[in-house]
Amino acid sequence: MFTYQEQIGFPILTVLIFLPTLGGLLMLLMRGRPRWYKTTAMATTAATFILSLVMLARFDSLSANMQFTEKLTWVERLGISYHLGVDGISVLLILLTTLLSAIVIPASWNYVKERELIFFAMFLFLETGMLGVFCARDLFLFYIFWEVMLIPMYFIIGVWGGPRRIYAAIKFFLFTLAGSLLMLIAIVAIAYIAREGPFSTPVFDMDLLESAVFSSSVQYWAFLAFFIAFAVKVPMWPVHTWLPDAHVEAPMAGSVILAGVLLKVGGYGILRICLPFFPDAAVAYTPYIIILSLIAIIYGAIVSLAQKDLKKLVAYSSVSHMGFVTAGIFAMSVIGIEGAIMVMFSHGLLTGALFLMVGYLYERLHTREIASMGGLAAPFPVMAAFLLFFVLGSLGLPGLSGFVGEFLSLLGVFAYSKVLGAIAATGIILAAAYLLWMFLRVMFLKLRKDEWFELSDFSLREIGTLAPLAALAVWVGVYPNTFLQLIEPPATQLAEKMAPYVAEGSGTLHDIFASLGGF
Amino acid sequence: MQHDLLAIIPELMLIATALVILLIDPLLPPDGRRGLGYLGVFACAMAGLSTWFLRNEEFTAFNDAISLDRYTIYFKALFLVIAVIAMLLSEKHLELHRRLLGDYYSLILLATVGMMVMTESIDIMTFFVGLELMALASYILAGFFRYDELSVEASLKYFLTGAFASTFVLFGLALLYGITGYTNYQQIGETIAAGNVPGSTLVIAIILVIAGFGFKVGAVPFHNWAPDVYQGSPTPVAAFLSVGPKAAGFAVLIKFMTVILGSESGTWVGLIIAIAIVTMLVGATMALVQRDLKRMLAYSSIAHVGYLLLAISASGEEVAAFASASIMFYLAAYALMNLGAFGVLVYLSNNSSFGNRLDDLAGLGKQFPWAAGILTVFMLSLAGIPPTAGFFAKFYLFAAVVDAGLAWLAMVGALFSLVSAFYYLRVIVYMYMRQPEQELERSGERSFDLNLGLGLAAVGVLLLGLYPSPVLDAAQDALLMVLGF
Repeated sequence: MFTYQEQIGFPILTVLIFLPTLGGLLMLLMRGRPRWYKTTAMATTAATFILSLVMLARFDSLSANMQFTEKLTWVERLGISYHLGVDGISVLLILLTTLLSAIVIPASWNYVKERELIFFAMFLFLETGMLGVFCARDLFLFYIFWEVMLIPMYFIIGVWGGPRRIYAAIKFFLFTLAGSLLMLIAIVAIAYIAREGPFSTPVFDMDLLESAVFSSSVQYWAFLAFFIAFAVKVPMWPVHTWLPDAHVEAPMAGSVILAGVLLKVGGYGILRICLPFFPDAAVAYTPYIIILSLIAIIYGAIVSLAQKDLKKLVAYSSVSHMGFVTAGIFAMSVIGIEGAIMVMFSHGLLTGALFLMVGYLYERLHTREIASMGGLAAPFPVMAAFLLFFVLGSLGLPGLSGFVGEFLSLLGVFAYSKVLGAIAATGIILAAAYLLWMFLRVMFLKLRKDEWFELSDFSLREIGTLAPLAALAVWVGVYPNTFLQLIEPPATQLAEKMAPYVAEGSGTLHDIFASLGGF
Repeated sequence: MQHDLLAIIPELMLIATALVILLIDPLLPPDGRRGLGYLGVFACAMAGLSTWFLRNEEFTAFNDAISLDRYTIYFKALFLVIAVIAMLLSEKHLELHRRLLGDYYSLILLATVGMMVMTESIDIMTFFVGLELMALASYILAGFFRYDELSVEASLKYFLTGAFASTFVLFGLALLYGITGYTNYQQIGETIAAGNVPGSTLVIAIILVIAGFGFKVGAVPFHNWAPDVYQGSPTPVAAFLSVGPKAAGFAVLIKFMTVILGSESGTWVGLIIAIAIVTMLVGATMALVQRDLKRMLAYSSIAHVGYLLLAISASGEEVAAFASASIMFYLAAYALMNLGAFGVLVYLSNNSSFGNRLDDLAGLGKQFPWAAGILTVFMLSLAGIPPTAGFFAKFYLFAAVVDAGLAWLAMVGALFSLVSAFYYLRVIVYMYMRQPEQELERSGERSFDLNLGLGLAAVGVLLLGLYPSPVLDAAQDALLMVLGF
């Protein structure tokens, strides 16, 4: 039986998720007609974006409940259903996904020379996977979409990437798969533990699992398994090592989606599964995770300072920024959680934009080495202006989006511990250092080659891909309430759920090991 | 009497067809032999139809020698699917090697009958007859390209090790008969459960039977024949051998371990767990270093046997129905994806100078987009990536293992499946991400049968992955009904 919530008159989430797949399959019929399939790709992503705006218009932002829910029994014997639903957090990330997907298609219009058709089709399939993860309300379905994201990205890096693309693609795949297999076992384990009796069907429905209570040893194990899977995606120090390789080798559009959306599914998973399902364990692990986050913030920033490759610099800065996400989430207050989500959103906009800028620069100069650039503001004034804008946003200038999230997230960490908050704040100072220094070396100083004057500045197409991101960055920075009110009900609900566990106090390291051993 | 024959109508059909093929084969002109394959496929289709009509029957026949029930029906259907796809994959390949003979189809049909008899028997004597029928037919099949040294070597190796394995099984069965006085599974099981048997003899019997089955399904340390046999046999035969006898072996192993030795699970669970872990380890690590695709697939199939054995060990626990159902589903998924993977190799070697080397795959994505595309599907399925049959099978199998309280074992399985992802991915890497040193020479032999076989396997893999319910339900019902859980 297929049922859906009568909120808009049709099952909008299914349409949203599978529209890109449909477009991708349609494209496969247009072999040999580049103009046709590129237009189809663009039209599909644009339509998906518009559809997500329609969804936003009908979304009730005052409610913390799942909306637009759809349910269809899938594998009855195993209690698996095709169950979708979104709350404010999902909606925000869905918007980010559809927006970035709609941007990368025109952005890489002339970027690849070989097998263009499959390249664009891969992005459409990838979009289906990403949207599915943000909508899934059944753990099995969640896992399917989680893995479906993996394959297109693997091909995007491996086929259209740089010189070491095969190494990077395999590393990316195996790191993610290692995490996902752990998650798969944990999913199965809790599904069987949560059922009523030994012979009744297991429970994969996230609504039911959220209200289930697991014993502490189950929580400690399952939390750890899920958390490692998500931490690889975030990526947290020390499982971040796939990220610089993947980013450096990935084609521009791949980097944009990777940084813009794929990293967010890690944070989203923590918010959606780790905290509400395993509150005891989450509280017990909090100090260690916050410390790891701080290491990520500081380490990512310091390593960024030392990078010679522009893309690698932006990649490591992602590690640093995503540290604010995990730190904010585990502050477990409304402010911290809201901050974490805002960091995710803003990082998607700004780092996505930075990767686009790096790609556009590379298309012109055919290098990404910072030392070989210099004085580019003279031949490319428009590009310099855009880069400065995104650099300032990324380093957390008040008035742009980066500031809002990081500030809220820092407030959360401060409330948790003043010392740790102070340490985290140095990450922002370091960010200013590596970003401004990079800008200086790329755009100012002496012009290295006079022939760069013969290259053209940004075309309208390129400006068109960056302008929406810039506009949103200003919007979030100046009037964040539009977005905060969307995520406030779910964030509050989550923080309220966590509050009694936080008040009860956390287990010590000794408790954790005792429970892990007792399983 | 009539009742008894009813139970084996599908087998009778296949045997009759096998004999007819043998009889008319010499009368046909060489290019008339193509039709024989269709005759075989048609016989399988008819047998499948009769199986379908028998699906709700449940009775024993020939004085409790065989039993017809949902469990048997499930496996009979699976064997027929395997036989059909294997025959579809073969025709062109045999023709190109000038070995398109009716004998081939007869042997495939007879081996299929052997598997069916093995599965439906509930008596150790009948079981052994089935086992030997299957084994003898497959030894000849392995050596079917008798002008090819490797093929003959494969046949000889398979025969020698297989004969040893049969002896082990037979000796084990003899001991079981000796200590219990029965040949019927149920009666042997009851006698053992009653506890009036000498323990040490029983342990020896268990070890011998497990060793024998270990040989048949290719579990470590009894696996050494598999790489050579798969590499040397004609590729369509390797496809058939890598799935058919394995499925039959596990079908019987489930019955043995639950019906006969269910009460003794304390004795064998540890042993099976140990074998499972070593099997996964050897399969996964050896597959990493293979440069020949058929050898790689051989070691990969050893690794898959390891996963299946995990579930066998889980079936020693109380909630065994679930574990056994997961094996049944896994075997169906595995059959389709492995037949498909070998089938693509057949396709490539028919159509070009492809020599089954990993390096030959370079640049295939451009040269043979369709073949590369579906080989990708099969590889992802073997690696257990959704939305394919291989993923759901692995998910369900791990679920059964976790459910039996062996979560750590599932973790070990997951670890090896991570290792195995590497060599399946490498196939994709070669096809899409590497430039060939020199392109393959095309010879352009089209074959409708082969394409149909590959298409069936690919559609099956995707369908089982997206909508596993019908097969899953059939497997669970079969066990609930038969093994009395």
